[in-house]
Amino acid sequence: MPLNAISIESLHKSFPPGQSGWRAFLQPFAAATLPALRNVTMEVRQGEAVALLGTNGAGKTTLLRILATLLLPTDGSALVAGHDAVRDPAGVRRQLGYHAGTDSGFYARLTGRENLHFFGRLNHLSDAFLRKRIAELAERLDLHSALDRQVRALSAGTVQRLSLLRAMIHGPKVLLLDEPTRSLDAIAASDFRNFLKSEVLKKQGTALLFASHTLSEIEFLADRVAVLDRGSLVALDTAANLKSRAAAATLEQAFSKLTGHDTRVLDEEPRPL
Amino acid sequence: MIGDLLLFFRRDLRIASTYRSPFVIEMVEALFGAATFYYVARFVDSPQLRQTLPQGTSYFAFTLVGLIFFDYLHAALDSFDRSLEEARDSGTLEPMLVTQVPLPLIVAGSALYPFLATTVRIAVYLAWGTWLFGFPLGAANWVTVVAVLLATLLAFSGMGILSAAYLLLFKRGNPSKWFLLSVSSVTGGMLFPVSILPDWLQFIARLNPVSYALDAMRAALLDGAGILGVARPLTALILFAAILLPLSMGCFSWALRRTKVTGTVSHR
Repeated sequence: MPLNAISIESLHKSFPPGQSGWRAFLQPFAAATLPALRNVTMEVRQGEAVALLGTNGAGKTTLLRILATLLLPTDGSALVAGHDAVRDPAGVRRQLGYHAGTDSGFYARLTGRENLHFFGRLNHLSDAFLRKRIAELAERLDLHSALDRQVRALSAGTVQRLSLLRAMIHGPKVLLLDEPTRSLDAIAASDFRNFLKSEVLKKQGTALLFASHTLSEIEFLADRVAVLDRGSLVALDTAANLKSRAAAATLEQAFSKLTGHDTRVLDEEPRPL
Repeated sequence: MIGDLLLFFRRDLRIASTYRSPFVIEMVEALFGAATFYYVARFVDSPQLRQTLPQGTSYFAFTLVGLIFFDYLHAALDSFDRSLEEARDSGTLEPMLVTQVPLPLIVAGSALYPFLATTVRIAVYLAWGTWLFGFPLGAANWVTVVAVLLATLLAFSGMGILSAAYLLLFKRGNPSKWFLLSVSSVTGGMLFPVSILPDWLQFIARLNPVSYALDAMRAALLDGAGILGVARPLTALILFAAILLPLSMGCFSWALRRTKVTGTVSHR
């Protein structure tokens, strides 16, 4: 594996504007003129946790989706574990786990175990390995009682934990998490953060890139923080250095000074782009 | 690859097994469908009518084959885009897209169960028709039936994948599916032989794989024709498949790439 788990070089992404009326028919062919990411260059090292911090629409989800091969960049390059997200998407997908930050994405009438087994098999994992791995991770994420119930009977928080388990089921080298604790209660969120820190980051050496609006979570998990504002990377440094650079007492104040935003916007209900 | 395809089949079978009543309802529906065609056929059947039918068989047998084959066309046109639509609406599309199975395989795998369910439904129709209404199943050449069925599936799948590409790009509605079903209901030869159509409609019928599929299937089921006996329509079906499958896969790949550019791959 290369030195950097993720390498992003001059990444630019624009979307076409939304069309209505008869022009909606031409939407798939419209030119991309609305920038969502502007010339972003950054890297995430092996075993490192980097947080994406920014207001709604800053480009966090767009960046994660490009790395997850769900979006094509307009310009620039993105490498995951040495594989190019545009030229070798299959190679990228072999190395990454992705959690989209929603509590959907499962078959409601299948049990948690059946769902996890299905998605694990799509990653070409064997039945025997899956049985063991699902049991291990379910134990660690307190999901045992959910495994044999249909997903439609589970709470939003439990489904989100299933989704996090799914992202890690194949032991990826790079983990992309979009607001990983959004639907979790305080205890489950704290447990999950501890699990990420002690097991996934320290023991397994997995690289983590995650978007979050919870500053305490960012300070607890992240080795470095990437501050995004209107698609541009404003700063990439440790939380301590960001605070020192902005002469701020808290990360919240540092974010405010670096981006010029009132930090109350961080408390808004988070939404992906 | 086969293992990946079977994963989707097992998934859909498992989901279907959590619903109990639809299977029973479909069995009963098939009975009423066969009965309706039987009595309509009895009402209109006559020796003169039989002489105009290609196999000289009863109008009931003629229309039952047309009806069940139209079911296949529906399944082919529906299965691919419906599987895509269901994955998109349930939110499972994106989690599948970040696995190691590519989208064309996801769509193809998700179409397996609906195709098999249609085959079972057709078998039930034929069973009711044979058991209660005298459909002449004993005359069938099953080797030819299977060969025609496979060639038909390939040709119709091309149309279904084109339909899924349209859905990827435009999200709702599907004029190509509507157009194909409408044109096929007139020129496919479901309820009447293509030979009674005016010349210009017969020309359109010859551009439609449905008419070849029905010709070949009626010959195999009602006349017991061997492979050589259906060589012409079978060759036409294989040609349609050879053109439509690569074309539709190309269109689908382009549509997928385009939605990754516009960021609308999972949009409704």
